[in-house]
Amino acid sequence: MKNEMIAVILAGGQGSRLKDLTKDSAKPAVPFGGRYRIIDFTLSNCVNSGIYNIGVITQYQPLTLNNHIGNGASWGLDHLDSGVTILQPYSNKEGSKWFEGTAHAIYQNIDYIDSMDPEYLLVLSGDHIYKMDYDQMLQTHKEKKAALTVAVIDVPWDEASRFGIMNTDENNRIIEFEEKPAHPKSNHASMGIYIFNWQRLRSVLVNAFTKEVPMIDFGKNVIPFYIKSGDNVFAHNFSGYWKDVGTIQSLWEANMEFIDDQDGLNVRDRSWRVFSKNPIAPPQFITDTATVNASMVVDGCFVAGKIEHSILSANVQIKGGSLVKDSVIMPGTLIGKNVTIKRAIIGENVTIGDNAVIDGTKEVAVVGNGEVIGVKPDED
Amino acid sequence: MKTNKICAIIGNEHEYADLLPLTENRPLSTLYFDCKYRIIDFALSSVVNANVRSVFMLVNEGRVKSIFDHLGGGREWGLDSIGSYQYFSFYQDMVRKKAQGELPVGDIIDFLKAAKAPYTVYLTNKFVCNLDLRAVLKIHQEQNNQMTAVFKRAAANRIAPDDHILTLKKDGTVKHVKEFRKMSSKTEVYNLSLGVFIVNTEWLIEQLQNSQTLSLEEFLFNSLPQIKSSTYEYTGYVSNIYDLPSYYQANLDMLNSENYNSLLFSSHKVITRTKNEVATYFSIASDVQNSQIATGCVIKGKVANSLISRRTLVDNGAVVDHAIIMGSTKIGAKSQIRYALVDKDVTIDPGVKIIGQPDNLLVVKKNEHITANIHGGK
Repeated sequence: MKNEMIAVILAGGQGSRLKDLTKDSAKPAVPFGGRYRIIDFTLSNCVNSGIYNIGVITQYQPLTLNNHIGNGASWGLDHLDSGVTILQPYSNKEGSKWFEGTAHAIYQNIDYIDSMDPEYLLVLSGDHIYKMDYDQMLQTHKEKKAALTVAVIDVPWDEASRFGIMNTDENNRIIEFEEKPAHPKSNHASMGIYIFNWQRLRSVLVNAFTKEVPMIDFGKNVIPFYIKSGDNVFAHNFSGYWKDVGTIQSLWEANMEFIDDQDGLNVRDRSWRVFSKNPIAPPQFITDTATVNASMVVDGCFVAGKIEHSILSANVQIKGGSLVKDSVIMPGTLIGKNVTIKRAIIGENVTIGDNAVIDGTKEVAVVGNGEVIGVKPDED
Repeated sequence: MKTNKICAIIGNEHEYADLLPLTENRPLSTLYFDCKYRIIDFALSSVVNANVRSVFMLVNEGRVKSIFDHLGGGREWGLDSIGSYQYFSFYQDMVRKKAQGELPVGDIIDFLKAAKAPYTVYLTNKFVCNLDLRAVLKIHQEQNNQMTAVFKRAAANRIAPDDHILTLKKDGTVKHVKEFRKMSSKTEVYNLSLGVFIVNTEWLIEQLQNSQTLSLEEFLFNSLPQIKSSTYEYTGYVSNIYDLPSYYQANLDMLNSENYNSLLFSSHKVITRTKNEVATYFSIASDVQNSQIATGCVIKGKVANSLISRRTLVDNGAVVDHAIIMGSTKIGAKSQIRYALVDKDVTIDPGVKIIGQPDNLLVVKKNEHITANIHGGK
């Protein structure tokens, strides 16, 4: 079947700045907001925008991600004429093909994209928290008769030198791209969201790789090449909440902003739902020794301690006398009695013994997935 | 090829006027339980946890919507995959067949033949328990029974008049079966049948072919003392749903962590329909104690000793105490709800008081908009 536009999500990155949280899973699979994994926002944006064929490119530690996505049923992607396909590196007669960069990953998966036969290709990264209607962006792309449309968001000027900056003319045409400029000329930052006319991108990639012209990365190679070759490259302005959660600090901040729904995401809006694979778990139990304030709690939690301005993910248990403040506790973690946790991200399936203290007052504290802290060998 | 060992029939024979108005538009099977379950989830989870893949469900024509809404394609229970088989049939169809001189249980026999399982389990629709059917099957096989019935030793005040009591011989076989209302001897504890039977399929088909029964349960109870049979005593948590107080108590029982753990954290998961909801938000002013809450709620008021289902709003200053709230309900600011069962999609205006008593529970019907105080009892 002919698809007008399909999406490919680049989900292969390690996210090394997330430290121990990504030691055994890729960044897009990191839990977020109690109920989600980071990639859920991008996947949900796709289905809410009417895109039902999605390739997810994985490379680094893909197990959790593969398990989470499954056959796509959680996002309604198991319907007729829809589907989510996990695209992993593979080997063939020419040897194995690790993905060397974003554009290289697309090049390696030309077969998948060709099989879908799309007019347009939407390239996304799986590590941002936002809600965006990609169909509006496609309308911009068509109106401008662009070969490439890049979604941009205006960032504060003092932060602009941390981003890929798009310098546009009065028609919103991108005339120059600068990666992390020391002296930015504009504050239009690339969101890493691209719509390409597939046949044009395909020939650019095939041509470059055949002739061994470097075309590894969208930001470094492909966008500058398009601008230089006189292709129509336009910006699509986005102005909602958009957060890169690539660092411990930003991941923690995004979670804290998420609690009170003050981030503008409007996550309870039923017309643009964020879908996820939901575990089957009993309701949360708030016991008579618990106090829970300004917090988010989900199914399977057992709370006997004091929770202030924090997020508890599925199947977290917190015993009496413990305090959890300004923190994110990821799924399956068990916290003993009289524990104090402040300004921390506690990974998945962590066990924290009685009386432990984790204080991130100076710098957000992190406990990696599966770690055991302060449990004496004779304790259960 | 390995064939499926057990096939299952889930009946919906029990309806109680004492559960009205909660069962006005839904069968007892799809009553809410503990914020996110429905009564039928327990029987169905026992079935699929025993790797049963063929399920026959007998339902009442008028109340089928709620069952289909809940089960959908059966994905959560793994009943949508190849080799699995869900079959629905209507009681009214059996009555029609009988009137036309046909075999009323013809559909059931067809199912049993198609399922090709040597054993059949029948489960009723009114008990909440987490039963390991494979353990029951083991006993059934070891005893070389035609039928094995499951019971629980239950206190008299938790038994309905139409429940069946098993009187056992010393060797554990069944001496006779009687409805509770017909029991002459009075004791404190009875062997309450949980309406679960494992039978040899071949025997069942043979018997049903000569039967004009319209009630499988009645048929099984009548056969029980007459054939090679024994019993299995279930020792886990169970609740028996037959009127508002029993239904209310069964829910509140979950606030006792022993019951909650026995029922919901055993080695067999209780499966229910999954939904996409945001985490439940507790505002800075919220005050929640000894309560269970499903996801998708926004809690700004005070909640104690209560169970709150998905997507409920408890607004600022509202008080919910000893209440069961069944989902998507809006509880207005400074309102009060005590000793009440509030069905789905109810709106309670700010400041309104709905005050029941422990012995006089109030019920708010589905979709109602409550604008004035309701007081129960004296």
